[in-house]
Amino acid sequence: MKRFYLIGFALLLFFDTMGQTGFKFSALNAQPLDYSIEWVLRILTNKWIYITTLSYMGAFFTWMVLLKKVPVGPAFAASRTQIVTVMLVSVYIFNEQLTVTRCLGALLIIAGIIFLAFAEKKLNKRSVKQPDESIQ
Amino acid sequence: MTLLIFCLWLGNICCDTIGQISFKCAAISPKNRENWRYWLDLLCNYWLWLGVLSYGVGFLLWIAFLTLLPLSQAILLGSANIIAVMIMGRFIFKEQLTPFRIIGVSLITAGVILVGIG
Repeated sequence: MKRFYLIGFALLLFFDTMGQTGFKFSALNAQPLDYSIEWVLRILTNKWIYITTLSYMGAFFTWMVLLKKVPVGPAFAASRTQIVTVMLVSVYIFNEQLTVTRCLGALLIIAGIIFLAFAEKKLNKRSVKQPDESIQ
Repeated sequence: MTLLIFCLWLGNICCDTIGQISFKCAAISPKNRENWRYWLDLLCNYWLWLGVLSYGVGFLLWIAFLTLLPLSQAILLGSANIIAVMIMGRFIFKEQLTPFRIIGVSLITAGVILVGIG
């Protein structure tokens, strides 16, 4: 179960981050933005839009497999970890600024994930003691 | 103007929540089988398509919302859907709201808001 969660969320995070990065690269490569057919063609002839599409499909499949087992409320919150990974990618690849508030926000998100993991551990222990109770 | 913003905001949260609840319904549908047949069954499941449709509408509402508000404020309101999905999960799927889960989800929501403002 633990492995399922770890692999599932890691994959989801990878696909989500890849998708957002791909979007940004597509936008950059299609510059200038002029709302013309040429702009659309520049997007469609760029490999990044296809990487983005594949990433989104991967994220969808991973999310559906995860949802078979995980509770949707906490999992939806946990999927927001992509904000932290996208932020790190933006700093390294696109030289975007890292402010104190953003770092603090990222730390809070990571702290939240740790709490959710602890909650899962506790609920699993409880369901081992009372096997008739569902894990959810 | 503010009423319009409020309606767009509420509409977006409803769409996001309905979308996630539908996806969960589709994923745990009792019709589901193993292997590739799972995906076939999933594609025939009307919950999945309700979820996709809901996401489509939510996307349009979000774009409209963003044209009226700066992104930093929009993220602040947009992160409310994390809470909404958790509450609906509690009522529809009987997901337990343990103290650790509540703390975790609150911290993530606060974090998302801070990153949005930052």
